[in-house]
Amino acid sequence: MKPETINKEKLLPLTQSQLLMWAGQKLYPDAPFYNMAHSFDIEGRINTDIFQKAFAELIVSCDALRTVFREENGLPGQYILAEVPFELPLMDFSGKDEQSIRQWLQERSEQIFDLDRPLFDSVLIKAGEERFIWFLNLHHLVTDATSSTILYEAMNKLYTSFLEGNEEDRAAEVFSFEDYIRFETGQEEKNTENIAYWKEKIKVLRSEPKLYGNNKTVKTSRTDRVSVSLGKERTEKLKTLIAQPEVRSWTQDLSLFTVFTTTLFAFLYRVSGQKTLAIGTPSHNRPTKKFKQTPGVFIELYPLIAGIEDNDSFLSLLQKIKTETNDYLRHAQPGCSSAETGRSFNVVLNYINASFSDFNGYPMNSEWIHPSHCDPMHHLRCHVQDMDASGIIELQFDLNKDVFNKDQIQAVPGHFLQLLDAFIADMETPLSKPVLLTDKEISSYFTEDIKTENKIKPLIERFEENAAAYPDRTALVFKGESITFEELNNRSNQLARYLKDQGADDGKTIAVYLRRSPDYIISLLAILKAGGNYVPIPSDYPLKRIDFILEESNASVLISHSELADKLNEREVPLLCLDKEQEKILKEGTENLKLEADPEALAYTIYTSGSTGKPKGVMISHKALDSYINWAAEYYHTGEAFNFPLFTSIGFDLTVTSTFLPLISGGKLLIYGEAVSGPDMSLLNVLEDNQVNSIKLTPSHLSLIAGTKFSDSGIRTMIVGGEDFKTSLAATIAEAFDNKIRIYNEYGPTEATVGCVVHNFDPEKDKEEASVPIGKAIPGMQALILDEYLQPVPQGVIGELYLGGSGLANGYANRPELSRERFIEHPQLPGERLYVTGDLARSDGKGNLHYLGRKDEQVKLGGIRIELAEIEANISELENIDESVVVMIDKKKGADEEVKNCTECGLPSNFPSVDFNEEGVCHLCTTFKGYEEKTKKYFKDPKELKEILTTSTENNPEYDCLTLLSGGKDSTYVLAKLMDMGLRVLAFTLDNGYISDQAKANIDRVVTQLGVDHIYGDTPAMNEIFVDSLHRHKNVCNGCFKTIYTLSTRIALEKKIPYIVTGLSRGQFFETRLTEELFWDEDVDIREIDNTILEARKIYHREEDAVCKLLDVSMFENDNVFEKVQFLDFYRYNDVSLEEMLRYLKEKISWVRPTDTGRSTNCLINQVGIYVHKKEMGYSNYAFPYSWDVRMGHKTREEALDEIDEPIEEKEVFRIMEEIGYKLPEESSSDSNKLIAYYTGDEKRSSSELRQELGKSLPGYMIPVHFKHMEALPLTPNGKIDRMALQDLNDAQLSMDTPYVAPQTEIEEIMAEIWAEVLKMDKVGIHDDFIALGGHSLAAIRVTARMNEAFEMDFALNTVFEYPTIAEFSKHIENTIMELL
Amino acid sequence: MNRILINYISGELIGGSEDVAINADDDLLGSGLVDSLGMMKLVLFIENEFQLKIPPEDMTIENFMTVECISNYLETRIQNNTATVK
Repeated sequence: MKPETINKEKLLPLTQSQLLMWAGQKLYPDAPFYNMAHSFDIEGRINTDIFQKAFAELIVSCDALRTVFREENGLPGQYILAEVPFELPLMDFSGKDEQSIRQWLQERSEQIFDLDRPLFDSVLIKAGEERFIWFLNLHHLVTDATSSTILYEAMNKLYTSFLEGNEEDRAAEVFSFEDYIRFETGQEEKNTENIAYWKEKIKVLRSEPKLYGNNKTVKTSRTDRVSVSLGKERTEKLKTLIAQPEVRSWTQDLSLFTVFTTTLFAFLYRVSGQKTLAIGTPSHNRPTKKFKQTPGVFIELYPLIAGIEDNDSFLSLLQKIKTETNDYLRHAQPGCSSAETGRSFNVVLNYINASFSDFNGYPMNSEWIHPSHCDPMHHLRCHVQDMDASGIIELQFDLNKDVFNKDQIQAVPGHFLQLLDAFIADMETPLSKPVLLTDKEISSYFTEDIKTENKIKPLIERFEENAAAYPDRTALVFKGESITFEELNNRSNQLARYLKDQGADDGKTIAVYLRRSPDYIISLLAILKAGGNYVPIPSDYPLKRIDFILEESNASVLISHSELADKLNEREVPLLCLDKEQEKILKEGTENLKLEADPEALAYTIYTSGSTGKPKGVMISHKALDSYINWAAEYYHTGEAFNFPLFTSIGFDLTVTSTFLPLISGGKLLIYGEAVSGPDMSLLNVLEDNQVNSIKLTPSHLSLIAGTKFSDSGIRTMIVGGEDFKTSLAATIAEAFDNKIRIYNEYGPTEATVGCVVHNFDPEKDKEEASVPIGKAIPGMQALILDEYLQPVPQGVIGELYLGGSGLANGYANRPELSRERFIEHPQLPGERLYVTGDLARSDGKGNLHYLGRKDEQVKLGGIRIELAEIEANISELENIDESVVVMIDKKKGADEEVKNCTECGLPSNFPSVDFNEEGVCHLCTTFKGYEEKTKKYFKDPKELKEILTTSTENNPEYDCLTLLSGGKDSTYVLAKLMDMGLRVLAFTLDNGYISDQAKANIDRVVTQLGVDHIYGDTPAMNEIFVDSLHRHKNVCNGCFKTIYTLSTRIALEKKIPYIVTGLSRGQFFETRLTEELFWDEDVDIREIDNTILEARKIYHREEDAVCKLLDVSMFENDNVFEKVQFLDFYRYNDVSLEEMLRYLKEKISWVRPTDTGRSTNCLINQVGIYVHKKEMGYSNYAFPYSWDVRMGHKTREEALDEIDEPIEEKEVFRIMEEIGYKLPEESSSDSNKLIAYYTGDEKRSSSELRQELGKSLPGYMIPVHFKHMEALPLTPNGKIDRMALQDLNDAQLSMDTPYVAPQTEIEEIMAEIWAEVLKMDKVGIHDDFIALGGHSLAAIRVTARMNEAFEMDFALNTVFEYPTIAEFSKHIENTIMELL
Repeated sequence: MNRILINYISGELIGGSEDVAINADDDLLGSGLVDSLGMMKLVLFIENEFQLKIPPEDMTIENFMTVECISNYLETRIQNNTATVK
């Protein structure tokens, strides 16, 4: 096809749908995802001449086939060509096999269309004497499903008529798409309400569902299509279902549509766990009879939104969908879709009710050929169709390859059908009930064998072998003294015999209440050798708890030391004091006892926090302990003997690894005793001594040491367990050890013996995830992810983790009921048990499990499991307390508390130091009203600007001014206006590497159109500047702005341009420089304000930040640069309303609002700044500037709030962070989590008393940090205690606890008050550094002005930088006063 | 009332190339004469024409199957409306 001459007068705009497709295609120019190809397989002899003639006539009668798209001044337009000479190619494939025909069709369907040529491709293929295939491919810009049938029927009719010789009988009346374009344009005004409806509608959507847990960034448009026929039987059943009165809608199609939509919603809910979901679905959008017969693209996509509740059944969800569909139909009016509505969903349901008839009386089979690509925004598309009117419905799923792996792509239709079948079988079925996996998948899921075949060597046997093999090797080191293997074995044999003498042998429980010491190890070995089992009791347990454990465990002996035992209460259990009975023990024989323990017999019982208020004992057998420790010895083996430190609590099952691993493998155990009082600093000693090569610890331990380098450390193996292990922490630690260590994440509740799922951390492969995977089950163990009906969930989907195998505990001591509840019968393996962990997890494509948190109220603090209910039960027992609730608060969650917004400007209540009056108006708004009038003096007349810029232009060598062009509306408008003035303008844009494509296109278009000289500035230091800005200001904009000012000033200097004109908005003036202090004077002197601002600019350019370090800023050293190049703010002289600006831009300039940045900005990195600011400060960095825009009347409050609330794509944010090399500050998990107790009772009780009393029954780590007396506990609507509300209440209270050095003198007090107010802090200590507190030039203006007022002084702006602390500055003030006197 | 409805339906809603004559007792829904988007257009037309709101629970086959059904439904609605006004 040759390019045609275009009749310019026929330029037509694009419809809303076309605009979105056009933009989509522009973003992915090489992806054929808008190709709509059909093959019509005709069983009959076709007269090819006539077919060709008919096709030529089809082109003549359908303007859609003659439409081309061209960009004119950057705006897309469509033209209808008068004629398109085209001869339908004929191809002879007869004799070729089916495969090669299909392959040809597939390849041809994926050809990219050139948008400025007619957007169709067609071929007639002869596949045999009696078989012809008509291939027709159109770009979606000119067609849709209905359009395909119209074209097909028109062709059918033309061919038949021509064949009969009725040359005159043209095609059936085919209407022109041009009419629709005009119709839609006319609809805009009628539809404002509907447009607003959709805008409001999508606000409930927070984040798109992560299908099968996938949270990768979707980059590819490549998709696989999998088709599945519902089959005759199922289609019939479906028709019966939709005839039910509860299901039935207006029409059969509508009924089917709601059933499929309901099923798809159920599917999304099941594979993502998300409850607020959106599905995009096309409205055919052919509102009149005429448009129903017009070829062209009419469809528009709108979302259907469902809020699913956990107890919804298919029927109850269907009822919601019916109402939702009603609203959908009511509001899906022509031209109301937008980029925003289009972005609100990542799943599309396409219910196609078009079908093709026979061709010229010959049977015809059609196929809609998938071009192997889809818009990447659509992760899943489900097409429902029966295009050949066969009466059997076919489903096609188009699945994005970044979202779904190969297995999942094959599995999706099966999972969908499982739900559909459950729906058909019983519409009252709960959505969560049907099994998603097919029978085949289920049988392959349970293949893991959990029977251990080899007999595992008992721990004691392995230890004794080592003692015989290396008698002189050091086994234990404690306080500089060593004990050899032989000695250790001899001494434990002696103690074992002594225990037997006391009757503490076979099956007897022996409590061990000792500090970490050789005696502790000897005791454990002795107990096991004697055939008993041990209960470790840490030395720091409160007496009440010890009493409970001793009694509950039914211990027959208590091994201790007199130093500890003396403190104990009266008790029944006989005491064995190792120090007192030492002599007698040493008289026993030293040879091995050679008892063989029953594998099922108990080895130890560890007491963990229990929800009833009392700890519960987890009973571990020899078999479980032996299998774990043998596995660990083999798995963690490096070729070197294990040298472990023993430094964690003996009451914590994590410690089991360090305790036994060295002893059974011929290594060394270095014992670090606990501190007698105060916090345990053993870990630091371990690292300092540097005597070990392996260590077992918790992520909380690692947080403590993060930030320090350990290049010289000998640690090579690090086993981490106990709690969620963040990838960022793991990476930091790996780096701290120069990547010379292997880090393992070992997961396992006490009930499954220390560890049973493990993953070797890989900094490269694991970096995509927030937490290190917990990995795969160890041999002999099974880790299953099941739903609430104990059915396996598909790969990727979140479920509850269940554990089975030889490592399971025997149960809970004396708690048969609880044991039955937590250790259930294995649903697949009779005779086996499963432990219900209560942990949520999912598996990834590589078979690794990922831990995702707890299902219930149980929390972990520093790796130790805590039942909040246990603490609550203990508090409630205390005197004068009625009821209590304990919550663990996570400081990071402070941002979640309910935020109110100023009723006038929208400023959020979490903005620092904001104050609201009774009407909900913020103090900034009320104050501004007081000086607003005065600020008017600051603004000037447009004429003045013109005068400044146009006088003495003859002196300027090349340009009269330089203007900063960001590509946004404000700066574009400024540029255009400057050109209007007839000036010689140089436009400058900083290419920060993240300008969106569309914004760049805008810039290029605008400068070409205006014929202005334009340069892009850039710097290799940009990323470093971003990182610095994120650390310093928690946003990227400050760094970017400063770079722009620096680079543009340099250019202006070089080119001798006297003025730089900025496009800063009036809101930005107030945000960045016009502080209220500048208007305090009754008689405001504008020249003085200008001087102050100029001084501030000097300081600004001399601040020591990344820009100062990395760019050439030497020019700012000399004050005269500020005279040679002056900054003029365009909007200081011009007040332009948004409507006026947009109208001007629309009419005069080809400026289009970018749609590819996801928000109203030109810059893709912007959202990183917003993300970091929100995370660190709790509110958006735009909250403050926008509040000024609202005050200025340049935005409405609603617009400002809308823009601030726009969702952020976290994945993209993380990707950019990595790209620029920014790391979010590491928060130590032990610091951020705190236990807070709330209680009711007649009176408030002293916290220290409560702490003290509670300390008698609970260990220190379970005692809340704060106690708050409440009149009543807040309740949820269901009457349950509202724990969320309690967590929110706390944040403010906690912020009071920040330590600081209080001001001492009167001057210091006044200063501290001023600083705190300006820097928006609660308190400022006298030694806090102004710059470190975030003080910059703007803050300097405000602080200096206020201090000058308070002390009646006249300090220069930079004084605060010379004396940057309150202590120093106040001294300076005193000295100055002294001098004056 | 039937006439107004028939005019609107045959003039604006019905697809297909030939003009179809509509009778008051023709099945609009089962026959596929009017699709769901068309029905919603009809609802909007009625709401506008007769100044009333049709709630989703009233959008049933029983009320909308034929022009006759629609007229009956509307008459009840209009009567009820005037009744409440009185």
